[in-house]
Amino acid sequence: MLLAMTSDVVSPSCDLKRMRKQRLARLRAEMANQNVDAAVLLHGPNVTYATGFVPDAVDASHVTYQRAVAIVTCDRVRLHTHNQTADLECETGSALWPELDDDMQAMRAAVQELAGDLAGQRITIDSVNGAMARSGLFDGARLVDSNRVLGAARLVKTDDEIACIERSQILTEWAMEPAREACTIGATRRDVAGVFLAALRGSGGDHNEIDPIFQPMPRAQSDGPYTSSGAIAFPTGVGNPTYEKGDLVWVDSGHGYQGYASDYGRTWIVGREPSAAERSCFDRWLTITQACYDAIKPGVTLGDVARQAIAANGGTRPWLPHFYLAHGVGLESAEMPMIGTDLGDEFDDNFVLTPGMILVLEPVIWDDGIAGYRAEEIVLVTDDGNRTLSSFPGYAPFDS
Amino acid sequence: MTEPLSFRRRDRVLEAMAARGLDTLVLGRADNTFYASGMRGLWTAGTRPFGAGCVVIAETGRTHVLSTSDAGLPETMTKEDLYSLTWNPQVMAGHLAAIEGFAESTLIGVDEVSPSFERAMARIAPRADIVPADDLMAEVRRIKFDEEIERVEAACAVAWSGVEAVLQTPGNPNPIGTAIVAMAKAGTTVPASAPTVLRRGDETIIDLGVLLDGYEGGVGGTFVYGQRQATAPIVDACRSGANHADLANAAAGPWLVRGLGMGFENPVLDPGHGHREVLESGMVLSVSHRDHRDVIAVTDGPPRILSTRPASL
Repeated sequence: MLLAMTSDVVSPSCDLKRMRKQRLARLRAEMANQNVDAAVLLHGPNVTYATGFVPDAVDASHVTYQRAVAIVTCDRVRLHTHNQTADLECETGSALWPELDDDMQAMRAAVQELAGDLAGQRITIDSVNGAMARSGLFDGARLVDSNRVLGAARLVKTDDEIACIERSQILTEWAMEPAREACTIGATRRDVAGVFLAALRGSGGDHNEIDPIFQPMPRAQSDGPYTSSGAIAFPTGVGNPTYEKGDLVWVDSGHGYQGYASDYGRTWIVGREPSAAERSCFDRWLTITQACYDAIKPGVTLGDVARQAIAANGGTRPWLPHFYLAHGVGLESAEMPMIGTDLGDEFDDNFVLTPGMILVLEPVIWDDGIAGYRAEEIVLVTDDGNRTLSSFPGYAPFDS
Repeated sequence: MTEPLSFRRRDRVLEAMAARGLDTLVLGRADNTFYASGMRGLWTAGTRPFGAGCVVIAETGRTHVLSTSDAGLPETMTKEDLYSLTWNPQVMAGHLAAIEGFAESTLIGVDEVSPSFERAMARIAPRADIVPADDLMAEVRRIKFDEEIERVEAACAVAWSGVEAVLQTPGNPNPIGTAIVAMAKAGTTVPASAPTVLRRGDETIIDLGVLLDGYEGGVGGTFVYGQRQATAPIVDACRSGANHADLANAAAGPWLVRGLGMGFENPVLDPGHGHREVLESGMVLSVSHRDHRDVIAVTDGPPRILSTRPASL
């Protein structure tokens, strides 16, 4: 049966200690590879990768002010955090407030204690905020974007990272079932989102990463918002629509386990069975997704996967032009590798898949004025092909 | 008739730019983007890598936002003011260079910047000096418009609906889930801070913070048989002219007084920070003392408590 690669791992467990050790080793190897002397990290996923500490899944303004900061050198790693931490192998230091001019002296002392005088050193950082710029914290250092260093380290996942993503996905899929039942005529987006978020919480899911999307799609592009790409607008993320019979609802959300994101994408129909036209869109989506599965294995390029998908769609690109056919997932919900972005064909053709990379396939079918289908599947590149990271490989109401 | 809030916020930003002689402002932070432009993207949790989410040009008075669709476009903007999502730094450079007035800038303020973006700016706007402007945004956001205070008060009421739902279900094994459902019904599914519900004997300690249409509200406290324990003296100390010592003297144990509006804002005062800050009328603050938290507006008299338990609940 198509896509029937149900995971036989019911609740994948990961060895957190081993995961943290392996990640730090990968980060240090990449720092050495790029001649980077030290890393000063303030972006949550990068802090997690370096230290194992997972910041709260709260508003950006809160985690920006009350930042966790990680400082990494070839022989030391230290975490400064506002939260209680336990069981981490790294050194820990007092809370820093890198947004405040008041705290730059403490910040400088923390960085210099591990990395020494930064002048002349090659330092990788996420960004420089105003307080850091005013204090001259990085004056004289040669700065490298963290995404070049951390991005490279994070690209191939360890077995424990894969287990975290799989576990995160299983929980999200489980919590989406009551939400799907709640997505009925007269319900609103917030009603459905509340059911989903409460179900997540009920199972210990305290790391929701996005205001969940349950977007009723206009049947014709001209009825929806304008887009500069000329494609259907998704996700729009505003308002609180009330669902009506026959609404085509595109669903997209993600949750983090140990910081590792899930990515749930499905199409639901409100209050009735799918029509023949809607089923036809779904069937084409399945065909394209299967073509991707057939293509994904070590040694092939992103371009190879894109060409298979295009061929299965009769020669046109089956994805939203401002997004991608597929994106990676890990400590961020969309990361490299990405297939079919505006980085262009040459980028895709030069990027070779290796075991441990993860792709979230999200082909989109849109027959303007009639219907569309969009769903997402998480695929791991294995030594001899690929494997779906999912426990509910169903597409209700389309496969019932 | 008063101008819509989005115009008034944008005009404050433009006035502050003029005062500093900034030609252009590049904003990466979602809250700053919302303040300056009135446009709010999909909410996601956690820090974000820097990207040029919003550009404000002094010469034209226009705001430009990174968005592929015009869903949620504010009255201050037209769809021509949008630039499209891209993964390609060269395409992004092209988008920015195409914004009227950008390439000719001589002084560009940024609220944050990545090393590669700063290097790219040298090519896009070769005559420009790049200077920090996070403090410019903090300054304009520091004093609230009356309508902003109303928005915060409405968000506090939503947080209270979550508190009431927890109090009404004492044996509930998933109290935070219950609070989330109640707050969703009352207006939002976006958290500002991490929700807390702790039960200790007769006491229930609750702290909930949400964003309602981009504005934060919240409340925290210890509840015994459904009643919130008495307010903290530090709340009453938050008056116009109060300084760090005034707040410290009113507190015993851990405390935090910080700006609240489109999330966590300046000023920040706690036992170790904010010694130079002076509270001003028109500030909105989240005032925490141990488990108690109120949201208040600073006035010329006693603080106006925005997180009062709504009578309607």
